[in-house]
Amino acid sequence: MKKMTSMSARKTREAYCFILPAFIYILFVLGYPLVYNVYLSLRDVDVKNLTKGGDVFIGLKNYVDLFGNATFRLVIRNTFIFTIACLVFQFTIGFALALFFYQRFRLSGPVRGLLLVSYMIPMSVTGLLGKNIFSNAGLINNLLAKIGIAGPEWLVNTSTALIAVIIMNCWVGIPFNMLLLISGLTSISNDVYESASIDGANWIQRFTHITLPLMKGSMMSVLMLGFIYTFRAFDLMYIMTAGGPLNSTDVLGTYSYMLSFTQYKFSQGSAVAMVLFACLFVVGLFYLRLIAKEDD
Amino acid sequence: MKQMTGKKEARRDLRNCIIAVVLAFIFLFPVYWMIQISFKSDAETFGKILSYYPREFTFAPWLVNLQDKTFLLSLRNSFINGFLTMGITLLLGVPAAYGMGRYRVRGSSVFLLVFLVSQMLPASLTLTPMYLIFNKINFLGTHFTAPVAIAAASIPFAVITLRPYFKSIPVALDEAARLDGCGSFRAFVSVMLPAVKTGIVTIVVISFLNGWNDLVYSMTFNVGETMRPLTANIYKFQNAYGTKWNCIMAYGTILVLPVILLFVFLQKYIVGGLVAGAVKD
Repeated sequence: MKKMTSMSARKTREAYCFILPAFIYILFVLGYPLVYNVYLSLRDVDVKNLTKGGDVFIGLKNYVDLFGNATFRLVIRNTFIFTIACLVFQFTIGFALALFFYQRFRLSGPVRGLLLVSYMIPMSVTGLLGKNIFSNAGLINNLLAKIGIAGPEWLVNTSTALIAVIIMNCWVGIPFNMLLLISGLTSISNDVYESASIDGANWIQRFTHITLPLMKGSMMSVLMLGFIYTFRAFDLMYIMTAGGPLNSTDVLGTYSYMLSFTQYKFSQGSAVAMVLFACLFVVGLFYLRLIAKEDD
Repeated sequence: MKQMTGKKEARRDLRNCIIAVVLAFIFLFPVYWMIQISFKSDAETFGKILSYYPREFTFAPWLVNLQDKTFLLSLRNSFINGFLTMGITLLLGVPAAYGMGRYRVRGSSVFLLVFLVSQMLPASLTLTPMYLIFNKINFLGTHFTAPVAIAAASIPFAVITLRPYFKSIPVALDEAARLDGCGSFRAFVSVMLPAVKTGIVTIVVISFLNGWNDLVYSMTFNVGETMRPLTANIYKFQNAYGTKWNCIMAYGTILVLPVILLFVFLQKYIVGGLVAGAVKD
């Protein structure tokens, strides 16, 4: 009996030896900055007092200033428009492609893999590419001209720049959504479809009565994960438009960066980051609850 | 009758293949676009007519990049970023995944929650506080700075992706190792790691790519151009090349090349990992 407990104590110790280094690393490299960020957002740290010290506690002033600032409200609006537009297109087109590639045919495997190339490319290069093909005499306007449409100056107009950024992001997001949704489709048993076919259900009925209900879980998790990954966008805007023209493609990520590292208003930058965190936190909570349910 | 359905099947197969090829063409066209521009001459780049392929094929834009000292240093830094991120991730992430997959300990659900959450945290959130902390402890501007930050997202990914692999190893394998007199560390290295080889390859590739693709940490923590990887020096070269898109696209193509090579040769590991790391734990 004694031996048993000492054995399990040893096992516990062993387990901690494997787990704790990574855990402590995360606490130091992510956890501490996260807490520090809250502290920072309640003070007035900028380039003047960074080295000398002398920054003071100013409560919620950074937040009050932010929400009173028209640029920040525009940034919030851009972030939500960008995220929701991307989610809608990525998800619906990704779902359509998932249904298509889920069928078995000779090229389904290889082509499905090929489509993922755009997802693997560094976002900064996607930004470069976007800057090129949406330039005034670029590929997009050249193609539009071929069908008789005079394309706008995509990245110069405040009304079209965000659309161009959204299109580039969808190019990356569609294959990713497709991949995750295919794995959801794979988990539906074939027997269900077969018995439905025997019962005389056509493909629309099969889709609305079998696929959709059974895919509810993975559809929700793909959407939430999509939100979490899209809402934090930075690289694409930073390279493709630098947030411009006139902040029309500025999102929370780029705005926070700009405040902290081009204007050196660190506390304001971290207050913006806190707003970003708050939005992600709400969706993240739902996501975690969902996958906890799936785990049971 | 049977032949009829066979014919119908074949026709459907052909139709699907054609649609698939068209889709692949549309999705890969931007990549082709970048590559073809990178082989165009200056004259063609600045020409009035937009051509869809290089009329006079030239390596000059590639050479402009490859003969630039800052470019070569940036290329080296990109590799350093990738390999260091991979190293830290393997060193810490793999043992943690093993510990969480094979042992039942108190608090394991807390560990899992922390890893899941930290995988979702964006760089923008921790960027400012990290910068100030690293500034205080004099850790800015080293080759390790960005990888340390990037690995904080790669480690949780490794834990979440690998844990199920370790979990699925039969218990008999532990016992066999123990009977052979292996200590738990030796059993981990010589029995467990080989058993999850596929998962490890996934982590190797994805963590390397995380380091290679990073922009925001690398450009924030390294002010010096010679310390920055390719991603973080895009602006510098864009300013230098102006509207010489052929040179910019050669830059982009070189930056993408390792990603595409890894993808071509290790596709199944990458795809498997993306699904495992994203949907389930």
